Amino acid sequence: MKYSGHVVFSLFLIAVAGYTIYTASGWSFKTGFFPLAIAIPLMVMALLHLALELFGAAEPAENPAVDAEFSNDVLPAVAWRRVIAIFSWIAAFIVFVYLLSFPVAVPLFIFLFLKMQSKVSWPGSIAMTAVTWGFFYAVFERLIHLRFEPGWVQTALGL
Amino acid sequence: MFDAFIDGLFLVLQWKAFSLMLVGMSLGFCVGLLPGIGGAATLALMIPFVFKMSPVEAFAFLLGMHSVAATTGDITSILFGVPGEGLSAATVVDGYPMAKRGEAGRALGAALMSSLIGALIGAATLALAIPIVRPLVLTFGSPELFLLSMIGIACITSLSGLSLRGQIRGFAMGLLGLLLSTIGQERQSGSLRFDMGLMYLWEGLDLVPVLVGIFAIPELVDLAVRGTSIAGDRATENLRSGVIAGIKDTFRHFWLVVRCSMVGVFVGIMPGAGGGVAQWMAYAHAVQSAKDTKDREGFGKGDIRGVLGPGAANNSKEGGDLIPTIAFGVPGSGAMAILLGAFMIMRLLPRPEMLSKHLAVTYSMVWTLVIANIISVILSLAVLNQLAKVTHIRGGLIIPFVLLLVFVGSYTANGQLADLIVTFGFGVLGYFMVLWGWPRPPLVLGFVLGKLVETYLFISVSRYGFAWLLHPIVVLLIVIMIVVIVYPFVREKPVLAGGGD
Repeated sequence: MKYSGHVVFSLFLIAVAGYTIYTASGWSFKTGFFPLAIAIPLMVMALLHLALELFGAAEPAENPAVDAEFSNDVLPAVAWRRVIAIFSWIAAFIVFVYLLSFPVAVPLFIFLFLKMQSKVSWPGSIAMTAVTWGFFYAVFERLIHLRFEPGWVQTALGL
Repeated sequence: MFDAFIDGLFLVLQWKAFSLMLVGMSLGFCVGLLPGIGGAATLALMIPFVFKMSPVEAFAFLLGMHSVAATTGDITSILFGVPGEGLSAATVVDGYPMAKRGEAGRALGAALMSSLIGALIGAATLALAIPIVRPLVLTFGSPELFLLSMIGIACITSLSGLSLRGQIRGFAMGLLGLLLSTIGQERQSGSLRFDMGLMYLWEGLDLVPVLVGIFAIPELVDLAVRGTSIAGDRATENLRSGVIAGIKDTFRHFWLVVRCSMVGVFVGIMPGAGGGVAQWMAYAHAVQSAKDTKDREGFGKGDIRGVLGPGAANNSKEGGDLIPTIAFGVPGSGAMAILLGAFMIMRLLPRPEMLSKHLAVTYSMVWTLVIANIISVILSLAVLNQLAKVTHIRGGLIIPFVLLLVFVGSYTANGQLADLIVTFGFGVLGYFMVLWGWPRPPLVLGFVLGKLVETYLFISVSRYGFAWLLHPIVVLLIVIMIVVIVYPFVREKPVLAGGGD
């Protein structure tokens, strides 16, 4: 059996369409008609695509879709390590925001990223963190008056 | 009428109205650069400040701000690959690859000049349409609007690969986008769909976290993987010559810019369609304008026409948006709905009186669009030199700052932390879509148009049964839709006959 990203993505679409058909079948006609009208052709297309991937000839490279492509000048093993690292940083930022709220999470994340990931010197990291936090405070808090939800820690401590 | 036209100009040039327009433009310039915070959000934030202004001052302030935000949104899209606002996402597709290729100046020059031409065409259309707007808008009921939305979806053929599997992937992504648009409360009955027991999903997924996640995060990941600056190891571009090249590109593809501007105006006139639809339809039209397969291959990889089309439509739709807002009080987009609030505050009724009794005020809006766009493009060109240098800063220093903008921008959509999860989720989805070659533009097109398609279909069937399918304009639009679907295949027939599935 051939394995490729296309196969994985087709299976993902089959799962999404299957879940939609199963769920929407239990709804009233008015509520369920539109999702069903979308999910059924989606299921057919995903199955057809899967069949072509598994049993069809190799796909020619010409006529690609209109979208960006990732650069391929980095070794795959290194690339995957970096992909996992950056997604971990993004996830960490979200966790920081949940725990500490934006005003605290922003300088903490910026400093840690610059120091640990980008290997910037101590003075450089501190200076850039200060500038970024100043920008954040001036624009989002003072100018636009965005209201940021308190973090879990602040709520737990009653701050 | 000519007197009112000239009076409108002098009203805007009064020192107080002009000063307020400059203040609004400064705000719009800064806010437009911030991802996620679009013109509509800025309008909403500034509405309380117009209470003590005269109508002309208020509209100079608000429209000046709004039109500039649309222009500067393109700058963020090109430099960072982060949609400056939901409406400028299509500029990312070709603008950011150009920045990665070291051609940020050229892309910015083209985006700004096409924006200016688009804005001027939008304003001119608004001025010319005022006498004939009533029959034009009344011709389009829900069946016609449904078909227009379907034409938008039919553009997927142009945005997908032209092989069988390429088309399947494109339409599957379009369907996934449509499916995502059904999340939340169903508008007719109020029933909840796919809400997973979360109140956050009752209103459905917001456009900003979806767009910012699906476009910005994959680009940030790619930047981290490359470990270089955005422009890589390429030598610093001569900005002045780059910008001039971009401006020349605009005039070299002048008719494409004009056609895309008209797409923007037309979509703007249609109530509820919004600027996102205009940009994507203009982008699809730019792709369709490619002469052959070879000519088309550059799209998505940094083709200047992919910057010009959306840039023009983004600003021309402002003029189109204003037409139903002024004439009927029917807002063409979210931003216009907020502007309608300003009309109420000014005690102006956006009805036919705006086209007779307050005609000078109406024309002052046209002039505001023209003057604000000219000034904003000149200002943007003046600071491009500094802005484009950003693409040569080491990626490790840019990434945390852009991530901050991405997530704060997404958070502004609903002011809920769940927006961050949605952004992250769509970032992961977008990453694997690019990695495995599943196109993102059809998904966005489906998502943007989904609610419109369902609403207009429901109203059409409820009101007319299936008799609406025989309306003359509907029949014409069906023919146009078929042409839009078939055209790429007819054009490529000799090529496809030689290979593919």
